[in-house]
Amino acid sequence: MPSTTHAYTHVERVYFPIAIGVFAVIVGVLFVLLVLGARRARPGKRSEALKLESAYAIALAGVGAFLLWTTFRAEAPIDRTVAAPGLRIHVVAAQWSWRLEYPDGVTIDAVSSWQPPAAAVPTGTEVEFSGTSADVIHGFWVPQLHFQRQLLPGYTTSFDLIFEHGGMYGGTCSVFCGDQHSQMHFRLQALAPASFRQWLAARSAAQAAAATRLAGSARGPTASAVSERTVEPPGARAA
Amino acid sequence: MSTVALPARGASLRTLASTDHKRIALAAGALAFVFFLAGGMLALVMRTQLAADGGVVSQNTYNQLFTMHGSTMVYLFVVPVALAAGLYFVPLQVGAPAVAGSRAALAGLWLLALGGASMWSGFLTSGGAASASWWGFDPLSDSLHSPGSGMELWIFGVMMVTLGQILWAGCVLATALRHRAPGMTLMRMPVFTWSMVATCLLTIFAFPALILALALLWAQRHFGGVLTGGLGAVDYQQLFWFYGHPVVYVMFFPFVGMVGEILATFSGRRFFGHSAFVLALLAFAGLSMTVWAHHMFSMGQATNKYFSLTSTALIVPAGIEYFDFIATIWRGALRFTTAFLFALGFLVQFLIGGLTGVIVASPPLDYGLNMSYFIVAHFHYTIFAGSAFGLFGGIYYWFPKLTGVLLRERLGKLHFALMVIGTNLTFFPMFILGAEGMTRRIARYPAATGWQGLNELETVGSYVIALAVLVFLVNVAVSLRRRRPAGPDPWQGHTLEWAASSPPPHHNFDSLPPIRSHSPLLDVREASEGAPA
Repeated sequence: MPSTTHAYTHVERVYFPIAIGVFAVIVGVLFVLLVLGARRARPGKRSEALKLESAYAIALAGVGAFLLWTTFRAEAPIDRTVAAPGLRIHVVAAQWSWRLEYPDGVTIDAVSSWQPPAAAVPTGTEVEFSGTSADVIHGFWVPQLHFQRQLLPGYTTSFDLIFEHGGMYGGTCSVFCGDQHSQMHFRLQALAPASFRQWLAARSAAQAAAATRLAGSARGPTASAVSERTVEPPGARAA
Repeated sequence: MSTVALPARGASLRTLASTDHKRIALAAGALAFVFFLAGGMLALVMRTQLAADGGVVSQNTYNQLFTMHGSTMVYLFVVPVALAAGLYFVPLQVGAPAVAGSRAALAGLWLLALGGASMWSGFLTSGGAASASWWGFDPLSDSLHSPGSGMELWIFGVMMVTLGQILWAGCVLATALRHRAPGMTLMRMPVFTWSMVATCLLTIFAFPALILALALLWAQRHFGGVLTGGLGAVDYQQLFWFYGHPVVYVMFFPFVGMVGEILATFSGRRFFGHSAFVLALLAFAGLSMTVWAHHMFSMGQATNKYFSLTSTALIVPAGIEYFDFIATIWRGALRFTTAFLFALGFLVQFLIGGLTGVIVASPPLDYGLNMSYFIVAHFHYTIFAGSAFGLFGGIYYWFPKLTGVLLRERLGKLHFALMVIGTNLTFFPMFILGAEGMTRRIARYPAATGWQGLNELETVGSYVIALAVLVFLVNVAVSLRRRRPAGPDPWQGHTLEWAASSPPPHHNFDSLPPIRSHSPLLDVREASEGAPA
């Protein structure tokens, strides 16, 4: 069950040291050459070394192949979605809010805030997110999980995330989407599966109670009473 | 004929209507530099905003600032100045008396001026300038989400300057391919001219895709039904990045070529591995047409493995180029002029941009870093810490040829030192902030994020860059007023432009030396050194 965090750290541990090593070697060689060259009176004449350069090109291609092998191996599992995830959450991004919908009708709305309400997810299992956008392109990004996916209007994209440790995971919109792009945040609270079930049940009950209260006040539609928290930001505030 | 009548009409008309490639290129370069100063001012306002805890401008104004900063730097500064350098020096380096299609080249200058004016006039409209980023991604850029004439003026402006850039590329390419002096075979063209050939090929093949994307966007805004739904947004991005990645190399190759000339000249030896370098450049140009969708890894709409493969393969031609640069310095008798220092700055700093480019060419890493300040740091290390350093190197190197006078070396070295300090203070912390999850294009980050300290450091860095540019402008003013004549060849150059007087006459050359290699002037010098006294 390889997570996005594993994939990122695995590839990072190969790429970053190589990059830093290459930088150090080139700058080191350059420094030595500059010191030597500053004192040289007559420059050297040789100006071609095709065989050496060909061998060097092949070596570079070898390094490239190794990097790609590392990347492809790490990427394959995170581009897949499993058949039976532990939970499915539908995400609708809009200017400028996030709506996370759980299978049994529980919804969490995060509207234009750096401190949005937390949506719970279970630890230790695949959580499948399927996401779309109500207007422009948004980016569902959880920096701690080193993962983002762009959400497009009129199209649904799916991906699995695994939360290995309990705790709060901040999320943000990565794709610039207009005036309040900066305010587009969500939070995921990873809970042990048992606590997660409790959270979901409590949340569901609270939502039902709210719906009943609304129905009791007898001033309108009941079935969609939950839409009390549905905010309609597009258009209105866009201007 | 027209050139005979022109001098009587005064200097301004000579500049606006001359078909001399040197006048057109100088005017275009100067205009592009004005846009550089203007785009830099926008960056300073943004940096001030981010240091002052968001107290300077509103988010809406900030959106206009970063949109116009990026648009100005790409469309109005780096690309035009790169092509203008080709327009000036390619005819000289191949021994041609003029540029091919000189009227088209003049039209390019006009299109740059008009297009730039159109983009910037958005600031005068009631809704402000375009604010949908330099990408202008649909649907954010459509008439519903970006109403107003600022966006319209941006679309027309970008189309105009892009058309002008295609015209310039055609002129420069035709000059290199068809107007070479006798003896100047293709493989004897200097590295800068070859870098311009690669640049012009990319421009001609890739830039029409941007004009098409913007035409579709314009039609979508006015009639709808063109870019529809999520996949319409993907279509726009495919077209945009089909332009948008090659343009990265249009903003890179010419400066690679400049740096190659500078390193060879101030190492006092022939450019190393000329033929391998030419091959690498052409492979680089071909490959760079195949990598565009690595900008779209996180959309899940492109074949990530393919684009990761082609992007990573770029390390081979890039590695050859670095090999040749370093091998040129190897066994060189070095002269540490300002131009040479800027070329070294390019080598070291571009390397940071290039290596981080390999990192984000890996989708699992890109998923974590895309759209963050890590990317902002990466491309500023390539375009600013790389290309702009190459450009300043080129300016210190060629200023004597352009004007007949030398720039001051001491002021130049002060300029260089400030640039190195400012650039790294500004852009290096962005790698750290990006990896911590700091998103681009946001006018204010709450204190709780803990990013304020590094943001303030970056802002200090940006002011140091501004100071460095000020020192450069002072250097230009002082050098033009209290002239130190350069003569035709102040640096013991290798290539044909140094055989012309400074500045070159209208027809470029009174006589040409024999051309037997890519360094004809070095051949002449070596022959006279080798001859018995």
